Amino acid sequence: MRKLLFITLLAISALAQAGKFGSFTNSDDVGASVLKGAADFDSSTGNYKVTGSGTDIWGKSDQFHYVWREMSGNFAVSAKAKFLTDGLTHRKAVIMLRKSLEPDSPFIHLAIHADGTPAVQFRNTKADNTNTVDFPVEGPGVWRLKLVRQNTTITVWIAKGNEPLRELGHTSTQLGSPVLVGLGVSSHSQAATNTVLFSDVSVEQLQTPAPTRR
Amino acid sequence: MRQILFFCLLSTSAFSQSGMPGVFSSARDVGSPALKGSAEFSEGQYRVTGAGANIWAKQDQFQFVWREMSENFTVTATMRFLGQGAEHRKAGIMVRQSLDTDATYADVVIHGNGMPGLQWRSKPGEDTNAFDFPFDGPGTFTIKLVRTGVRIFMYMAKSGNQLKEIAHTEVSFQNPVLVGLAVCSHQADASDTVIFSDVSVEAEAPLKPKSP
Repeated sequence: MRKLLFITLLAISALAQAGKFGSFTNSDDVGASVLKGAADFDSSTGNYKVTGSGTDIWGKSDQFHYVWREMSGNFAVSAKAKFLTDGLTHRKAVIMLRKSLEPDSPFIHLAIHADGTPAVQFRNTKADNTNTVDFPVEGPGVWRLKLVRQNTTITVWIAKGNEPLRELGHTSTQLGSPVLVGLGVSSHSQAATNTVLFSDVSVEQLQTPAPTRR
Repeated sequence: MRQILFFCLLSTSAFSQSGMPGVFSSARDVGSPALKGSAEFSEGQYRVTGAGANIWAKQDQFQFVWREMSENFTVTATMRFLGQGAEHRKAGIMVRQSLDTDATYADVVIHGNGMPGLQWRSKPGEDTNAFDFPFDGPGTFTIKLVRTGVRIFMYMAKSGNQLKEIAHTEVSFQNPVLVGLAVCSHQADASDTVIFSDVSVEAEAPLKPKSP
């Protein structure tokens, strides 16, 4: 009963958000890159311009800029990502779920690399190595990314340009609730920043299915 | 130009071995499934029967037909399940560090319902990681696993279509590794039989030293 009430409250607050970062509440550098990141939300267009630096979101520890909000239960996040600045092939823009702001926190994300390599990457436990599933390279462009969490299942979709979203597949995660949900940008180098324009951003709380009777 | 020389020494050796299955050197159960598995090689096909709870989580039970290999290689096989079974029974091509039930591994599998998966355990005793791909039902599948350094590539085609690269992951193995075919019924009290045909194992020749 208490859990149900909690979920309902979250659903309401998700709709009521209209703060400094639109669908999100905070903007932070994760890890300590030499160069600082930043996030600009344009409330008239709903677009986010996110600048991030950092070695990578990879290995045992991450450096990137993160625009996020806390969420629990099931949800869907989608966004279009466009790289605005030149840089390294493997600079990345991601939709992420993350346990905490610690650089070695467990996470899972759907990433698009600047060269057009989609990937699902995750760190299962604190300070563990990052796992990856890399999909065939499709070349640079504007990409739509969508990530849905239903219980422990994470399903991801992607589309290049104006193509229809296509499902890449699914995996599972034990991140639990609450979790930090947001948009991340890393330049793949401490000596560079990478700016990504996120547009058509949608963050939707999904109903938690009723427990099945056994 | 990349100097990659593939040689098919293994397909010829398939016919020089008797008793043991084709291009592979051995067959046995991993993780002591309640029902014993088996493997036969005849007329160019492998008939592999395996039981076992699963290849999943921290330990595995299945029938494994394997050989030892080092460095980079490509394994291809066409497979189909015989008869009925659990939705998530699985069969495919596996790279495994050892025959231990909780060993590091990576595999490309097709589940009984036709769902393709790329799975791996990064370290002994750790939980299995998996990524499952969209699917449209059971059938005959051609699957291909390519090891290039730490990368494990998955290719797939259903019912005679063109093989397509699906995805790759990264798993660190020490050489040599065990490479072969795996079959698991996903239930303790049943076995499943899978026919593997057109099986090829190609080793990539060691790269020549670069000229200065």
